[in-house]
Amino acid sequence: MKKKVLVLLLPGLLFLTAFMLVPIVITVGSTFVHDGAFTLEGYMHFFGDTFFLKILFTTLEVSLVTTLMCIVLGFPVAYYISRRGRRQKSLLLALAIFPLLTSSVVRSFSWMIILGKKGLLNNALIALGLIKEPMDILYTPAAMMIGLVHLFLPLIIITLVGVMENIDPDLIKAAESLGASRFSAFRKVIVPLSVPGLIIGSILVFVGSLTAYTTPALLGGKQKVISTFLYQNAITLNDWYSASVIATIMMAITFAVIAIMNKIANTLNPKG
Amino acid sequence: MALLSLEKVSVAYENQYILQNFDLSVEKGQLISLLGPSGCGKTTTLRLIAGFLEAKEGKFLLNGKDYTRIPVNKRNFGFVFQNYALFPHLSVYDNVAFGLRLRKVKEPEIRQRVTKVLDAVSLAGFEQRFPKALSGGQRQRVAIARALVIEPDLLLFDEPLSNLDANLRVSMRVEIRRIQQELGITTIYVSHDQEECFSISDRVAIMNKGIIEQLDRPAAIFKYPKTEFVARFIGFNNFIDFEQRSDSGDEIELKAKDRIFRAVRHPGMSGANGRKGAIRPDDIVVGTPEEIEAGVGCLTGRVKVSTFLGRSYQYVVETELGSFTANKEMESPFLSGQEVRLFFPREKLVLVE
Ligand SMILES: Nc1ncnc2c1ncn2[C@@H]1O[C@H](COP(=O)(O)OP(=O)(O)OP(=O)(O)O)[C@@H](O)[C@H]1O
Ligand SMILES: [Mg+2]
Repeated sequence: MKKKVLVLLLPGLLFLTAFMLVPIVITVGSTFVHDGAFTLEGYMHFFGDTFFLKILFTTLEVSLVTTLMCIVLGFPVAYYISRRGRRQKSLLLALAIFPLLTSSVVRSFSWMIILGKKGLLNNALIALGLIKEPMDILYTPAAMMIGLVHLFLPLIIITLVGVMENIDPDLIKAAESLGASRFSAFRKVIVPLSVPGLIIGSILVFVGSLTAYTTPALLGGKQKVISTFLYQNAITLNDWYSASVIATIMMAITFAVIAIMNKIANTLNPKG
Repeated sequence: MALLSLEKVSVAYENQYILQNFDLSVEKGQLISLLGPSGCGKTTTLRLIAGFLEAKEGKFLLNGKDYTRIPVNKRNFGFVFQNYALFPHLSVYDNVAFGLRLRKVKEPEIRQRVTKVLDAVSLAGFEQRFPKALSGGQRQRVAIARALVIEPDLLLFDEPLSNLDANLRVSMRVEIRRIQQELGITTIYVSHDQEECFSISDRVAIMNKGIIEQLDRPAAIFKYPKTEFVARFIGFNNFIDFEQRSDSGDEIELKAKDRIFRAVRHPGMSGANGRKGAIRPDDIVVGTPEEIEAGVGCLTGRVKVSTFLGRSYQYVVETELGSFTANKEMESPFLSGQEVRLFFPREKLVLVE
């Protein structure tokens, strides 16, 4: 029985080892070797470079803000969806997931039309007399965040709905019967019980934003983030060594974020 | 005066009325149970009182104050759910303290009250456990403690014991009754376990399709059901439709197809103006025609089905007034098709509406 299962696992494992594990090990390994000797020079170079640090900082900022906005926007929506009947729930979920099903190029171009100097948003605001001169939104970190929130909101909604629909509705009734208002029942019962979904959703959004390429490339203009910087090093400048170092840094940040989030989850919800 | 009264209350889910013109009144300090078949509206009644549902029409008064439009969180009632509904992310202590914290009680007083109530439900020492690490009976007691600690004006139970095994059910119901009487809290208890309701209640309300058929002391219901529905529900399986009745004092003479029966009017007999007779299988006397002399209160018939029940045999006997079920303890049973005589003792024959 056990052996058979192992045999079934084998093709997948082989594939992952050959096309993922090995390349990663080679990429990461190569960053520590220069002229046949161990070195940290690549990293020292990057962390001493204010230009790179600024890109790194912007990336983290964009990812963090995107994650927070997704939480703030996604939480109430997810709660609303989770309390609907079966039929409505599937319909609303399908609608929520829709952005994920469109190509990110098309989605980003749509935002360019909306956010541009002569775009829909600026035209509307000027027509309403709210602003005189068109604002610079496109090709700024703000545009990236808008695009990324649009892209990743469905992820946090799906994960939160999954957790919230398993919360017994009687718990809210119990809280209310003990004197809690709707809002404090939400805050003291729903929110803490949603923490696992919130953590997973946040990891997905944060890591997704950190590594997203198309959206920041199209909406960010000259403003670089790590992924576009990596692409530039590898493809435009053909500097594969720097590209590997950047890739390793990105990976390290990703794992660090997951570790930190798990830590937070454990302290917030010891018995969850 | 009644502490709680529901007056002509109607409740509907999506235009389908579950309760209509529903009346109920409960005295202070009493434990009253709502008992009835599945779907008759027990939970609906309880949730209406708790404030989870709103009445379309009618009034709910408590202590003379109109509660009809008061929201759940302002009612100060303790509700114990069938599946306990403990907060899984909070320890036993924090679960119990939940209501007190919302009331902004000071932390030292919270500690003192939580400790006291956990003592009362025999859960001292379990403060730091989480609900997941408790047995069903312990969870139930936490749920009761959580509802009690806020010193509720009313305690509401919705089938609190139905998830427990039989032995635990018995000891928990004794416990619930003890705590309720010690604290003198007016309590409404929903169950569809008859024994449970009869054993712990001051009053039992038998419900059927959204109305109360009878509200009375357990013993009174058990002996003198008011309506045919109640009688059937509590095990009176035999009914006779009488065509005539004539009362003389406490004696009632009844006639069906020229057969004469007698019944005794008892002060507690609430359906005594009815024309339908009801009797339990255990109360019918069965015998051969030689054993029982023909006369008033007798009926002859043939055994149709005979079933061994362990202690006794149960017979379905076909007579000119329909078939009757009767139990009898005996060594060698009557055979199918055998002629037997049934005797309906006058003090056991109850009249229902
Ligand atoms: N949310 C709801 N929407 C529509 N109908 C409902 C709803 N809840 C209950 N009902 C209906 O109302 C009626 C009474 O239900 P209720 O839950 O009060 O019964 P009950 O006496 O508690 O039964 P049980 O012993 O099975 O718990 C049932 O016919 C039920 O189908
Ligand atoms: Mg019910």
